[in-house]
Amino acid sequence: MNLRKILSLMLALVAVMSLTLTASAFDTAKEIAVVSREEGSGTRSAFIELTGVMTKVDGVEMDNTYAEADFVSGTSLVMTTVESNEYAIGYASLSSVLQNDAVVAVPVNGVTPSAESILDGTYPIARPFNIVTKGELTDELARDFMAFVLSVQGQEIVAEDGLVPVSTEETQEYKPQNLKGTLVVGGSTSVAPVIELLKEAYEELNPDVEVDVQSTGSSAGVTGALDGTYALGMASRDLKDSELEAGALPVVIGVDGIALIKNPANPIADLSLEQVRAIFTGEIRTWSELGE
Amino acid sequence: MKAYWNRHSERIMWGLFLASACVCVLAVAAICIFLVANGLPFFTQYPVGAFLTGTEWAPLRNVFGILPMIVGSFYVTFGALLLGAPVGILTAVLMAYFAGSRVVKVMKPCVALLAGIPSVVYGFFGVMLLVPLVRTTLGGTGKSVLVASVLLGIMILPTIIQTAEAALNAVPRPYYEASLALGASHEGSVFRVMLPAARSGIMSGIVLAIGRAIGETMAIIMVAGNNPRMPGDILKGVRTLTVNVLMEMGYAADLHEESLIATGLVLFVIVMAVNFLFSFMNKRRALQ
Repeated sequence: MNLRKILSLMLALVAVMSLTLTASAFDTAKEIAVVSREEGSGTRSAFIELTGVMTKVDGVEMDNTYAEADFVSGTSLVMTTVESNEYAIGYASLSSVLQNDAVVAVPVNGVTPSAESILDGTYPIARPFNIVTKGELTDELARDFMAFVLSVQGQEIVAEDGLVPVSTEETQEYKPQNLKGTLVVGGSTSVAPVIELLKEAYEELNPDVEVDVQSTGSSAGVTGALDGTYALGMASRDLKDSELEAGALPVVIGVDGIALIKNPANPIADLSLEQVRAIFTGEIRTWSELGE
Repeated sequence: MKAYWNRHSERIMWGLFLASACVCVLAVAAICIFLVANGLPFFTQYPVGAFLTGTEWAPLRNVFGILPMIVGSFYVTFGALLLGAPVGILTAVLMAYFAGSRVVKVMKPCVALLAGIPSVVYGFFGVMLLVPLVRTTLGGTGKSVLVASVLLGIMILPTIIQTAEAALNAVPRPYYEASLALGASHEGSVFRVMLPAARSGIMSGIVLAIGRAIGETMAIIMVAGNNPRMPGDILKGVRTLTVNVLMEMGYAADLHEESLIATGLVLFVIVMAVNFLFSFMNKRRALQ
């Protein structure tokens, strides 16, 4: 009797598990699981502005993100969520998406997001990456690091990371100045990965310098730059008026594309910008409404 | 030097003990002052009533209503109690009266271990196992009140088990023996005599668990969907007060940032109220 109970329990457990694990064919009648970033996220404000999820009514900005969306904080959580649910769609910086094979970037208006498509303006969802300072830079080390970021070598790294570089024909080679010390750079979690790469290259050229990169968020980056916590702040959005008035000075170091991401099991091949807007406002609820 | 020490050791050590005790008191005072000083100015720019009873949360338009989060916090906590209280109390009864010493020897470290698991690990467990399970069996996205409640229910188990077991063991043995002598069975004695006698201890354990559940953040943020609107359906998402603060703190600026500190203040007041309830119940128990 007891044994039979245990056996039937185990069978039920196995049945449930197999139900979970056997991925059935993609069912377009299912609801779209919309994954959004949290309020205040630089990626979110760039995304809703660029896709038209945000509307202006009498000069007031309305964020019309679907109320039943799954709200997650952080780029990696967006990707984990989309990775684990084949009916999910989310968005993240192209630079982060390119480093992750578990999710797929969806072409928008027939254009696959890439450095080229962002540079020639055909990919519609892109935003600037800023380094923020308090007024003109006086600190020698911070100025030298900025010179490196905007140099030929620095911009090469920016480009390798999937961003569109801001270099022009006048961009110069960087020459190490033999400086010493520690430099604290903090702010946007979206900008931090590329700064990490730049830091490694910079430290190799300047062995006596230590660059400390802290990812805390765009607003924390601007605040930190203003109050001196960070020598350089990172922001993945345009600065607010209150921040500019307080003396924050942004320098664009590259342009980032925001990629729409889906699970590899999802067959959708292309979305129009209008469809993206409709999905993220909740006007389109199921995959079948998108047509073939 | 030695003579000095001999003469003053009593007073020096007294000072050391006092300083140690002050760390705790000062920390509480500093946090209180920080929260009130930084949270209250928000209300000079935003009406308290609209903040506490507003159902819309739209920082972009400077609309801050946290009623959905207050309701969400209580909703999820209630769900956690629905699972955690019966399971926890029955486990405590088992450990106190039914299990042999060998079973208790295994159970006790297990319960202690459950209490020691970091909440982010609970979160991973929830997001990797419970969320897909709910999604495939019950529908929706899986990130829901249900998963958050189940996860919290598991997380508060150690608190409930440990306090309930201590309360049950504190009931005088003669109660049990008298009950047996009157002809009651072992089960009858446990459930009709010992459990009611330990009631107030068990209740204070539940209150303690409520405090733990309301304050939990990391595990919830990973499984709850975090929708800032009035919660309803148990298969849909919910946002709690704690999640609201953690989720938006990194990017918030200006009034938005202040509104999050004010959210923390509201949470602090709620947790304080729960704690006062707890000490009130303890006092009443001591009087009994």
